[in-house]
Amino acid sequence: MGKPDIIIGGINFKSLIESDSDPYGDFKVLAIPIKRAGNLIIVEAQLDSVGGNFVLDTGAPYLILNSTYFRGLPKIKEQESGGINGRSSNTFTAIVHNLSLGFDLHYDRLVADVTDLSGIENSKQIKILGLLGTRLFAKLAITVDISKNLLYIHKLDKNGDILPGEKVFDKPDVKTTFKCMNDVMFIKGNVNDKSIWFAFDTGAETNMLDLHVSKKIIKSLQVINRNNVLGVGGKSYEIIYASFNKLNIDGYTFPNNRVLVSNLENIGKFYGYTFDGILGYDFFARGIFTINFAKKEFEMYIYTHH
Amino acid sequence: MRTLKHLFTMLLMLCSLMEARAQKRNRIVMSRDHLILIVDVHTSKTEIDSLLRVGGIVGQTAEMLLQGNYLPAIKNGWDVKAKKNIIELNRSLSDGKENIQITPYFLSSNVYKSSSRPGYPSEVAYGVNNFSRVTVHELSSGLTRFFVPGNIQARRVFVSGSFNNWSTIKGNMNKTDSGWVFDVRLEPGKYAYKFIINSNWTTDVNNKLSEDDGVGNNNSIYFRYNYTFRLAGYPSARKITVAGSFNKWNEIPMRLKNGRWECPLYLHDGNYLYRFIVDGYSITDPANKLTQVQNSVLSSVLLLGEAVTFKLNGYTNAHKVFVAGTFNNWDTNMLPLTKTTTGWILHYTISAGNYQYKFIADGQWIVDPLNPNQITIDGNTNSFLAVKPNHTFTLKGYSSAHTVRLAGNFNNWNEQGYTLEHKGDVWIINIRLKPGKYLYKFLVDGNWILDPGNKLWEQNQYGTGNSVIWIE
Repeated sequence: MGKPDIIIGGINFKSLIESDSDPYGDFKVLAIPIKRAGNLIIVEAQLDSVGGNFVLDTGAPYLILNSTYFRGLPKIKEQESGGINGRSSNTFTAIVHNLSLGFDLHYDRLVADVTDLSGIENSKQIKILGLLGTRLFAKLAITVDISKNLLYIHKLDKNGDILPGEKVFDKPDVKTTFKCMNDVMFIKGNVNDKSIWFAFDTGAETNMLDLHVSKKIIKSLQVINRNNVLGVGGKSYEIIYASFNKLNIDGYTFPNNRVLVSNLENIGKFYGYTFDGILGYDFFARGIFTINFAKKEFEMYIYTHH
Repeated sequence: MRTLKHLFTMLLMLCSLMEARAQKRNRIVMSRDHLILIVDVHTSKTEIDSLLRVGGIVGQTAEMLLQGNYLPAIKNGWDVKAKKNIIELNRSLSDGKENIQITPYFLSSNVYKSSSRPGYPSEVAYGVNNFSRVTVHELSSGLTRFFVPGNIQARRVFVSGSFNNWSTIKGNMNKTDSGWVFDVRLEPGKYAYKFIINSNWTTDVNNKLSEDDGVGNNNSIYFRYNYTFRLAGYPSARKITVAGSFNKWNEIPMRLKNGRWECPLYLHDGNYLYRFIVDGYSITDPANKLTQVQNSVLSSVLLLGEAVTFKLNGYTNAHKVFVAGTFNNWDTNMLPLTKTTTGWILHYTISAGNYQYKFIADGQWIVDPLNPNQITIDGNTNSFLAVKPNHTFTLKGYSSAHTVRLAGNFNNWNEQGYTLEHKGDVWIINIRLKPGKYLYKFLVDGNWILDPGNKLWEQNQYGTGNSVIWIE
């Protein structure tokens, strides 16, 4: 089934909706200072006349804006709740103009979803204008150095490689390819010698595993505690915080991993693909990592070797 | 030899038995869709209690468990089976508690809630700066100037701190011959900051004051001053210090400047006692007539804050009128009003904040008839006073309403809330709020409404929305 055409005033907006304008800027590699809110990576950006905090979120497919501040944008399309792109109710699609990151990277026009992000704001006590999803970087590579609070945005040559001499590190400890489906990154990994698929999500404040992951993995987890957490809409959900010893990504073994076990079925529906877990902060904070979205390559230089 | 071997085998068997016994001890295991707690009744209650905590079984104690009372666990959805020395608690993990959090950030941001705001220093009683080379100072215009010496080759330099929401784009410094400058208006207080030189975060290397923000960042600290202790004379003294109740009577050195001894500093609003120490000899402030004896020592008194006038009209037949409130811990005998021809009056200095108070006329408690701003908690109504308020809530229109109240997360959504004053065309109340995010609504004759004058709002669990403000 194809995506429905959007016709407003007799004009078909399908092509408009599906394309973002390419980013541009006078740089080879751009270093942008980042901030942290809990385990989230915060990048300040300027959207038209409004400047403020955005979460760098590879778990988001594209630009997501907080309805508290962007409710007034003209609606291009209403979103059904619970669908692939459906978040909470009252989500809609809009087109925004003039997004700038770090003064030097500009987007003239972007498709964005406007949705309720108050949950993040209230949890972190900082103003969040939106989420920077993967599609913004589709033709670029990014490097995050958590220890220095720096984000690098790399331009790529015509082969899709980072320009010579502009890499932040040369000898990665981890180098793996990933799949990109519905603009979400999926990395194959190994938990206690069982191979599973992870979504890679810089917006996840911890690693996560689905309750329905293979029995062998579930049985190998050491339970730290179980909790009920009050979620959006006042409904509570159950989580189990656990640890496991061996996470292997493409031959490199990460010891002492923390993971939150919960029912991730709905997140899978949201992504449009079922998966077994999410690699979040506990994973990506262990080193400097580079994501080359054009070549679908993930590299990591580990801070401290065990 | 044979017996020895026999003994050895026996020992081995005993060991493996002990091991088997050890394995029986308390465990928590996950299996598919189930969480199982295995409790060995021979283990200590402390151990069992900690296992129950790990399992998150609210209300169930080891004591109850061992007595066969599993009610709290059962209520929590646990199946309990007791076998010989083992009690097994088993809970399905997919019992309809479907996780509706459809994005990872919602799922995890709910788990990792920040209780504080790292990078925003909490209020302190006083502060004195300590620079090896002064890089932050006040201009005669009242602005505060931040200075980064050198770094002339840098492409961009920013100052980012608690005063500009740690913005990485707003504190764009201007290049001069000798370095980079940025001017900003700061209220007196304590600030954390860093510089960003060519995208790299750095502390102010010339500032000896720094503080860990609790989440791994070291920030430079600057105090915007608001007070100077001064002592004239004593030109030949070797050392003069000031000590006071604001810093537990630790001595702060004063400097001789233009023939006067001085100690500029940041001092939080409040009432303080202090003394000068001249070459080891302690004196009161000769320029300050206000003194107080405490622990048989005479000290000078300093009142820092806003001058507030309490006025009560009438009650001219009363013998005594006092004011009591949250600013003096409801002390009923501390603050007497003076009788005038038409009523009673008191001038008093109060530090910035929100307060409740009442008058007491010959033992009778009365709300301030001149102040329409009131606050009701548990049916008890007091007058409400904000000193140095930083936000005004206004509601236009609704002129036929009897009462308009304000409730929000700053007062636990108390429906009695704050009563607004009807002034001309608007309902109004001033409040002092700490920096951060607030959710609120108005109650017009008991009906909740969003603030029509504020386009920022977010959804709530009732689907009716809450208005949003950020105090910065």
